[in-house]
Amino acid sequence: MKKSILTLAITLMASFAMAQNAKLPENVTIKTLDGKTVETSIIQNDGKPIIVSFWATWCKPCNRELNAIKEVYEEWQEETGVKLVAVSIDDARSASKVKPHVDGNGWEYEVYLDQNQDFKRAMNVVNVPHTFLINGKGEIVWQHTAYVDGSEEELFELVKKVANGEEI
Amino acid sequence: MSNKAIKIIAAALAVQLQVSVFNTLQAQGILGGHVTGNVQFDGQLSRRDTVIGSSDVPEKLLSNARADILYTNGNFSAGLRYEAYLSPMLGFNSQYSGQGIANYFVSYKTQTFAVTAGHFYEQFGNGMTLRAYEDRYLGLDNAIRGIDVVYRPWNGVTLKGLIGQQRYYWDTRGLVRGVDAEVSLNDIVNSWTEAKTRLTLGGSFVSKYEGDETILSDISGYKLNLPQNVGAGSLRMDLAHGGFGLQAEYARKGQDPSIMNNYIYKTGEALWISASYSQKGLSANIQAKRVDNMGFKSVRSVSGEMLYINYTPSITKQHTYAFLSMYPYATQSTGEMGLQADFMYKFKKETLLGGKYGTDIHINGSLVTGLDTTVIGGKGTDGYTSTFFGTGDTYYGDLSLEVAKKLSSKVKLTGTYGYMVFNPIVEGHEGDLHHNHILVADLTWKINRKNVLRFEAEWMGSDSKYDANVDDKRAGDWIMGLVEYNFTSAWFVSVSDQYAYKDGIGNYYNISVGYTKNATRLQLGYGKQREGIICIGGVCRQVPASNGLTFSLTTSF
Repeated sequence: MKKSILTLAITLMASFAMAQNAKLPENVTIKTLDGKTVETSIIQNDGKPIIVSFWATWCKPCNRELNAIKEVYEEWQEETGVKLVAVSIDDARSASKVKPHVDGNGWEYEVYLDQNQDFKRAMNVVNVPHTFLINGKGEIVWQHTAYVDGSEEELFELVKKVANGEEI
Repeated sequence: MSNKAIKIIAAALAVQLQVSVFNTLQAQGILGGHVTGNVQFDGQLSRRDTVIGSSDVPEKLLSNARADILYTNGNFSAGLRYEAYLSPMLGFNSQYSGQGIANYFVSYKTQTFAVTAGHFYEQFGNGMTLRAYEDRYLGLDNAIRGIDVVYRPWNGVTLKGLIGQQRYYWDTRGLVRGVDAEVSLNDIVNSWTEAKTRLTLGGSFVSKYEGDETILSDISGYKLNLPQNVGAGSLRMDLAHGGFGLQAEYARKGQDPSIMNNYIYKTGEALWISASYSQKGLSANIQAKRVDNMGFKSVRSVSGEMLYINYTPSITKQHTYAFLSMYPYATQSTGEMGLQADFMYKFKKETLLGGKYGTDIHINGSLVTGLDTTVIGGKGTDGYTSTFFGTGDTYYGDLSLEVAKKLSSKVKLTGTYGYMVFNPIVEGHEGDLHHNHILVADLTWKINRKNVLRFEAEWMGSDSKYDANVDDKRAGDWIMGLVEYNFTSAWFVSVSDQYAYKDGIGNYYNISVGYTKNATRLQLGYGKQREGIICIGGVCRQVPASNGLTFSLTTSF
């Protein structure tokens, strides 16, 4: 039984080569900061690029990344129409601090809670920060784990390409 | 023909059959969908070191590996996870030894209905009655294998039901059943749809079943009449009004004698409240909780971290600097009271304290104590009584003040002062309270767009002294230095050393090199490391204790 599951998995993996860019899942349940349950299909941006960033209140590199992008977010939006969606993986220990944390830092991002980590698992996120770039068709075109000061500039170069419909 | 040859031919035919079925389905457009996944490999070539507590490793190499494969096609998804612990790394239970498929599921999900068969993770409310979750770095996985159903009859109403057994290393144990309901009043009361105040109410009930066994009472040696079904229930609320937020949950548990509470019959209860206010550049949050005999496991005779059905969150801040997180606090589910306050403020740019770039301050404090209890008996009795507002011994307390300031367009400095009180009883041994003072300076220098240097200096002064009988290797006064060089987000090198300069033992030196490309990350380290959260090279992760060479590969696709 276990063997046949494994062979099936290998067969499926073999098909991976033929697969197109995976899409952002639409039916994973997440919560808004005021407690409303929504599906990930809510993550939309009228055909313009979306950055999906997995983070946690206790993660220092995540906070550095979101604070650095804050400084340039308006320019990014004007130039490319990009939207940043910050998905917190904080669990019950710190989930109630996410809204105060976001406001206290003055972030103007769309923020969701993924307390049960369903979205994190669906996106195969292992460590935070983990950032995805989604094109206008909802396809995941790029992903990256780790943030170092200045790497938001590399990200913006990619956002501009995606906004212009170029391949990455 | 030998048995083995037959098996090989059968396996080859099975693959052939699956490939042809697959190709047919593909050709008919039935199999679209996507395969994604992630792979992780961690290994250590460990050497014995009594000072940091790593023991002799006869097999030289210890490794943990896993691969998650996920297939999604519209509303349908399926996944499996292969895990291999050959042999498990330090800090992981030796019962993980071995390899195999540890997790598999199929799931179908629409806007109103979802069903998962196989292994699943689930949380009711804040998890006080049920939380099946996984922390791969702590070797913690209490996934439930069974059936999980979620139904949304109307917008704003979510009903959940589940039944299954919990993962216990390579086995499943116990029997857990649970239901949960959550109602968002703004979505079901028409006139409230656009209201500024949002109110969500919820409730859950969870029950476990376990057959009888023989446990003798302390006094007369008679056999305890054990409850075979134990229930726990909770009510919760989430209220939001502009910048104000109030969340609370209250849970109760029936008689549940177990090894954790020394087989007493007292019922359990837990209360958690969080209140916050925030606006742009300012936030305040206060949390309080009381937990009394609320450990809830699917098997009464198993101690340790596995088989927990519920989760009572720790109320203390999750610190990530080495000395601030040296004594991490974990909830004492047998009983505790806790209070936490958190405050953040941003001094604006071009003000006296804000300077050219603004200044951020963050203050956090927490205090956890035992309950005020009166013992009334041992095994087979109600055990003890407790007063609701009374407090017992101090278990843990901390206060931290963090100031972050951009000094120029290239240099950012974060300074932290921390004070901490820790009671060794929390880790199971008697002793004096530890009082620690901690200072941290964290400086990032962005030399140019591609080259970034980071320096971290830490100091900890403590009234604790190393005592060979207790063998707490964290005792004493410590200093630490760390230098990290990043070339874009692709490469990093970091060198660090922690040294006990007074009343302690140990010298933890470490050098790490890492390479990241997209979602693939490779890291090599050499040296001695404590277990704990480490944030270097732009990523935070929990690491096990090690002495020698460590390597880690993670990738997502």
